[in-house]
Amino acid sequence: MVEGAVPMNGVALRAAVAVAAVYGFFLIFAQFSFVELLRSGGASLTMEKTALGIMAAAGIAGGFLAAWRGVTPVMVRIALGVAALTSSLAPFASAMPGALGVAAATGAALGVATVGLSALAPAWCGVAWVGVGTGLGYACCNFPAVFQQSPAGQAWIGAGFAVVGMLAVPARTEWRAMEHRKVIPLWGALAMFTALVWLDSAAFFIIQHSEDLRSGTWGEPMLWRNAAVHLVLACVAGFWLASGGARALPGVAWVLLAVAALAVNGESTRGLAGWFYPAGVSLYSAALVAWPGWFSGVNGVRPAAWRAAWLFAVAGWFGSANGIGMAQTLKQVPPVFVAGAGAVVIGVMVLSDIKHWRAALTVAVVALVAAFSQGTESPSPSSAMERGRRVYLSEGCIHCHSQYVRPGSPDEAIWGPARGVEEVLKGEPVLIGNRRQGPDLTNVGARRSEAWLKVHFLNPRELAPDSAMPSYAHLFDDGRGQDLVRYLKESGVSATASLMAESARWKPVGSGLGSDGKSLFGSHCAACHGALGRGHGPLSWHLARPPANLSKGPFIWSAAGENLDLRIARVIKFGIPGTDMPGHETLLDRDVLALKDYVLGFRH
Amino acid sequence: MTTSPGIPADAGVSSAVRHALGWLVFGNSAGLYLAMLLLYPSLQLADWTYGRWVPVHLNVQLYGWTSLPLVAWLLSIYEVDRSRVSRWAPAAVWAWSAALALGVYHWLGGVTSGKIFLDWKGGALWALMAALVILWFVLAAAWQNRSAGWNKRRRLAALAGLIGLALVPASLILTSSPATYPPVDRTTGGPTGSSLLGSALVVVGLMLLLPRLAAKVRDGRDRPPSGPCEWKEDSGSCGYQTASNDRDSSTLHSPDRCGERSLPFLKKIPGIWIFFGVSWIVFGVTEAIGGTHHDVHQIGAMLFLLPWVWWLPRDGSHFDWPEGSRSWRMAMFAWWGLLVVSGLWMYQPGVLDRLKFTQGLVAHSHLAMAGFTTSFCALLLVLLTGRRMGGAVSVVVWHVAALAMIVTLTVMGWGEGAGPAWMSAQPAWRELGLVVRALSGGLMLAVSLLWLHERRRL
Repeated sequence: MVEGAVPMNGVALRAAVAVAAVYGFFLIFAQFSFVELLRSGGASLTMEKTALGIMAAAGIAGGFLAAWRGVTPVMVRIALGVAALTSSLAPFASAMPGALGVAAATGAALGVATVGLSALAPAWCGVAWVGVGTGLGYACCNFPAVFQQSPAGQAWIGAGFAVVGMLAVPARTEWRAMEHRKVIPLWGALAMFTALVWLDSAAFFIIQHSEDLRSGTWGEPMLWRNAAVHLVLACVAGFWLASGGARALPGVAWVLLAVAALAVNGESTRGLAGWFYPAGVSLYSAALVAWPGWFSGVNGVRPAAWRAAWLFAVAGWFGSANGIGMAQTLKQVPPVFVAGAGAVVIGVMVLSDIKHWRAALTVAVVALVAAFSQGTESPSPSSAMERGRRVYLSEGCIHCHSQYVRPGSPDEAIWGPARGVEEVLKGEPVLIGNRRQGPDLTNVGARRSEAWLKVHFLNPRELAPDSAMPSYAHLFDDGRGQDLVRYLKESGVSATASLMAESARWKPVGSGLGSDGKSLFGSHCAACHGALGRGHGPLSWHLARPPANLSKGPFIWSAAGENLDLRIARVIKFGIPGTDMPGHETLLDRDVLALKDYVLGFRH
Repeated sequence: MTTSPGIPADAGVSSAVRHALGWLVFGNSAGLYLAMLLLYPSLQLADWTYGRWVPVHLNVQLYGWTSLPLVAWLLSIYEVDRSRVSRWAPAAVWAWSAALALGVYHWLGGVTSGKIFLDWKGGALWALMAALVILWFVLAAAWQNRSAGWNKRRRLAALAGLIGLALVPASLILTSSPATYPPVDRTTGGPTGSSLLGSALVVVGLMLLLPRLAAKVRDGRDRPPSGPCEWKEDSGSCGYQTASNDRDSSTLHSPDRCGERSLPFLKKIPGIWIFFGVSWIVFGVTEAIGGTHHDVHQIGAMLFLLPWVWWLPRDGSHFDWPEGSRSWRMAMFAWWGLLVVSGLWMYQPGVLDRLKFTQGLVAHSHLAMAGFTTSFCALLLVLLTGRRMGGAVSVVVWHVAALAMIVTLTVMGWGEGAGPAWMSAQPAWRELGLVVRALSGGLMLAVSLLWLHERRRL
């Protein structure tokens, strides 16, 4: 029987409730409402930091004191009693110096309670129950009635958590025998959990301090979802730990947190953070509580308490403070930090077993070789076009776009003239590509203006509603976007004359019957020309010259006269080279003709 | 010399197997994410764009899932796990994975050579070189330690193999350089028929070697003198029990040792090897001439693959394969036949002109990787470890999901090939196809997770 599969009994259940209560108290009072109460009490940022610093110092001291004295269930109960008292008083002591006293008492109580629980838990239950308790604690805090409570209300709820915990703490102190445990040494646990807590705290701080992020990740509609994710994943973590996943679990938690941390940096991806963040947090939080008792390699309450004291001092308080500090300074979680945290977590996973020193050595050799050969990259080119070509390459544009118009094929009529294979092969690297999720880009500079290209990069679906292309707006946060636009424009502009000749030769076949001109206009034209064709579409302000008013003109390119229908059809199909008017090369002839009829209708 | 004390007897091979399956899971996850991105572009994660994940997906499948079983094969052939350097075998596998992980970091960071499947540049390239050198030294040390007990032919063959492997880093540097590019069919911008023949012949070579180094000759004439080889069902291992009590020969011969007696088998059916050699000559000549898929000699070069559809299964039938390998062996030959026949069809004038740059060729890539290569790797892992690779249900689910994806993408490609308008004019069909693709990818990811879980404690 695995350790976590202990039969459900009163002691195990009470242990899970105690874990849930301590987590609940910490999350809803110490992490949330106490800070809000300080602010409502008029505390400055310095005072706030001082109070939180005192809480951390008291927490560390309380933890070590408990380890030194030897933790007992009675000690944990007393600590939770103090916690209940301080959080009950907190709404009445939000101003200094009372708040400092609350901070100190809360910190000390939390220090004792967390160290005590972690060290005593193996005497009470299997490790799976720690996961259940962790999940319950997180889930309760995400219930809308709790999460959206006033700060004073949350403080009293926190007191309630502490009282429940006090009542739930079992009296037993004898550890049951545990075998076949995978051990993560102290140094490894400190490094690994510090990295995870750091990452968690930074992502949490960024989300919490940005209104749109907060509403996008744990706004009201998402609270029940978050509660469920927390509960399920923490339970999964418990059973996973029970089945021997001590070393692999933190790695998975890092992956989830890394996705969340990177996702909060992008506007379009913040929704992902709402799923990945609670999942990652739940996984490692369960492991954090379980490590001292189950996976630190000790056998007994006292040494486990020392391990817990070190773990919560370094990973818990230090890691959390630094994660928040980094987020305050940088306003984001840099990808290099995410990668660094991953290196720490995975490094510990590998190195924590001494038998793997050879693997660690070869991995280190490989990493060092890579690090010392990083400088072989040639310097950034001086021309925007060359830099843009590099962006094209590094963004992997070749995986969706070809740069090869097949000679003698229908490609030429749509994407412009073919180039000789010898010319194409001169490129280093060759950018032929092998798959077209989108158009061939050989001659795109002749078919699209720079303004159009930029608008399309910012939000492709504004111009092509069913486009599979994601937004590349982030490229315009620095110079990459402009360089890419310049590259695409300049590399194809030489084909303008050929395209115009092709346009002059083209004649649509059939009629527009069967196609809905109005619908097509809405999909392909209204973004620039406006729904009524008056040139005031939502994207028109991006363009240097306003789009044509299709109702009143002036009609420079399609003035009344001979072959007006054909000329308009050609403009729709191939655009007007040299202007912002793009072609619609992939439209069928009947669609072009239906659009032409609809556009002409504006004039009447 | 026997295995170093304190570690499993097959630590290197089983480590490579676990890493390979881990990379399969990761590669499938990336593939599923890409499939989801095509449906929901807003899921893109800031700088880690679709275009940066594609090389991750492709290279992890090639250099992780496909290459690590071959690394395991090498470790087995050189008997690294029974040598004095056995403890370094898992370390060499870790070095390989570290290089691949650094590659992933580089590709996601936008560092790319732009060469699909040869996408090694900068630090990642030199990391891979370091991993290759580490692996080579481990193999060489094992050869030095073990080869004294081998017959002369095997000793020399293994030495020749080492010399060949020593050339791999340099050739990889050369081929991954942006300055080099293979011959191009100027009518499509894609590979020539002869290039396709050449790459397929490498696979043919591996399929010819597979039974010779890892299975048993059916007529038994080449059995080792120490006793009959038998499948050890109760121990769950693939190998041959012999009569001697000596540790090296008494317990389980790893399948590679059975290769010692298979070399004479070359003499029995020279036709297959003659044709193999002729095929390489045809490749060399037609590659030098160049041309397009409209040229008879290029189509003719591709036709040299057709006999292998029949010949390889026929050749395999001369061997006794271990129990538990049948489903993957059948699947491998079935996918191989489909791969060759569909490849020939797709290469025809009119067909390639329609399918080039479409989902149709993506389908063919998945046929090659998810269908054939996965079956080959799974069979190899069964032969190397003696353990089944997945239960019947998971194997069937994998193949059905792969087939569903391939058929769907082929149909989409055919529609798309009629004109690029299909992509925008048929959004519902396109999205339905992408949904099927994503669902298939999800199933394949679930199956690969199951396989990894099954091998966790190997």
